Amino acid sequence: MEPTATTPAIFDREEFDRLAAEWRYIITDMICRAGSGHLGGALSLVEVVMTLYWRIMRTDPANPRWDERDRLVLSKGHGAPVLYVALASRGFFPPAWLGTLNADGTRLPSHADARYVPGIDMTTGSLGQGLSCACGAAYAARLDGKQHRVFCIIGDGESNEGQIWEAALFAGHHKLDNLIAITDYNKLQIDGFTSDLLSLEPLLDKWRAFGWEVFEMDGHDWDAIYDTLQAALAVRGKPTMVIAHTIKAKGCCVVENKAESHNIKVPDQATYDRFMNALETKAVLPY
Amino acid sequence: MTKDFHDMEMRFVYGETLHELIEQNPNVMCLEADLSKASGTNPTLPSRHPANFLNVGVAEANMISIAAGLASEGKVPFCASFTCFASRRVYDQITISVAYANMNVKIVGTSPGVTAGPNGGTHMCFQDLAIMRAMPNMHVYSPCDALELRSVLRYMASTRQPTYMQLVRHQVAKIFDAEYAFNPDRAVLLREGRDVTLVSTGYMTQFALPLADELRQAGVSVELLHYPSVKPFDAAALVASAQKTRAVVTVENQSILGGLGGAVCEILSEQCPTRVVRLGVPNEFGEVASEQYLFDKHGFGPAHIAAACRRLAAEKG
Repeated sequence: MEPTATTPAIFDREEFDRLAAEWRYIITDMICRAGSGHLGGALSLVEVVMTLYWRIMRTDPANPRWDERDRLVLSKGHGAPVLYVALASRGFFPPAWLGTLNADGTRLPSHADARYVPGIDMTTGSLGQGLSCACGAAYAARLDGKQHRVFCIIGDGESNEGQIWEAALFAGHHKLDNLIAITDYNKLQIDGFTSDLLSLEPLLDKWRAFGWEVFEMDGHDWDAIYDTLQAALAVRGKPTMVIAHTIKAKGCCVVENKAESHNIKVPDQATYDRFMNALETKAVLPY
Repeated sequence: MTKDFHDMEMRFVYGETLHELIEQNPNVMCLEADLSKASGTNPTLPSRHPANFLNVGVAEANMISIAAGLASEGKVPFCASFTCFASRRVYDQITISVAYANMNVKIVGTSPGVTAGPNGGTHMCFQDLAIMRAMPNMHVYSPCDALELRSVLRYMASTRQPTYMQLVRHQVAKIFDAEYAFNPDRAVLLREGRDVTLVSTGYMTQFALPLADELRQAGVSVELLHYPSVKPFDAAALVASAQKTRAVVTVENQSILGGLGGAVCEILSEQCPTRVVRLGVPNEFGEVASEQYLFDKHGFGPAHIAAACRRLAAEKG
């Protein structure tokens, strides 16, 4: 039988909205339960990651290393909780694992880890390296005449790293059109707004100047995300960068669009309640 | 007639051996960061195997992480640069993209230690054995001659093991013949002796071997252990020799902090406390200078090795 090559899902806006709210509830609970964690940059990616795993990428949860699968490198490895929820939702591992984020002996560490987590394609966590890894994976695929695509999500703060721009040069020079990168442009990094710390603007022009096709989109709008990623997949002869305008910690109103959401500390029940009550929709936890 | 690799510069042995490895396994790749001529892979590799040769430009960090991505897809990338750039400049990329992620990437540091001579202090790396040895998952090799280099490279291509290897670029003296087979778990007993154990690796072994013979003529019986692998480290061979001689001299083309001498002291202090003298570069940077000048300045040339062996033998009485 053919593996479940093509993803899925018939798009149902209400169902996706409901799922996105559920993911935000689970992600926030996972992090709060762990006592601390990178909330903001996980919540900003919910719609993008859900669209990738449920509408765009070819994967096979029963065979996570399926050779023809599309790859995803979460270069901003601290966004791992949203990836874990996505992978659990697709059946790569039991949803009960989600309750173990960062716990002693867990298989779900704070940063994306291909060694322990079925469905993670690259171990990341030291910023700037994942895009280069994705370049290597895309280059190898082209050498071997393989048809799969390599997606890579980088952060805007991460784009301060010089290695991002080494990779940008490389992918542009080699015209890696099987590489689609996405910038989670939530405009915030640990110490404040990117525009105050180290401005990335004009960001689209920068990527264009490095030889990439560039799109931008509302990273929380289902139609915009899907249509833009489809357009990115159609690009030939150069790599593609999709600038996703997002809101850090979207949906958790007490820290939404605040730098402090980058790595929240949850020392006690009152803080836990504060974060969980800040979410619009409650959900049943799968653990 | 077979080529005599001992008559070649080591860098060309590297290029030639990579060529053979690619012929045997098309997944083997040669990565360079604008130093391909210095590494001896250009023009051999780009002309014979253009698809297996990838020059990323002056971007060593990118090279290492690209190699990790290639390895994740089943490629076997060999990444070369000067030791200073192949180790300390990209230490985090090697740590995370390669060793922590456990990717099958081979890193080749060329012109180790004093052999970087004309490039001077900025390019002279005395720490690579130490910092690479301190990294979990990483194997660390330093072959001493052309045939050992070939055997090490064949071994590297045949295993799924993150590895760092030092490559002296110029021609070195012959130590081994064609029957030699590298085993990372085994030190090589080059000379048996009873008075002093001399432990060497890589570039220094070609100096240590004739010295051991000279000292024997002069009445000092030197047991010479060559370590092509600094990690894993054959502790049993060291301990057995130290139990016999009760005196150990180490010599390396490196800082004496944390490399071969460090490994020897760690093992002996726990398993067989023994008098040890470490020869190499003390806690100092390099400088533009000849090899002889640096040997004399830091005290680890042939004369210093001989003197240390004599001294330890005499101490025992």
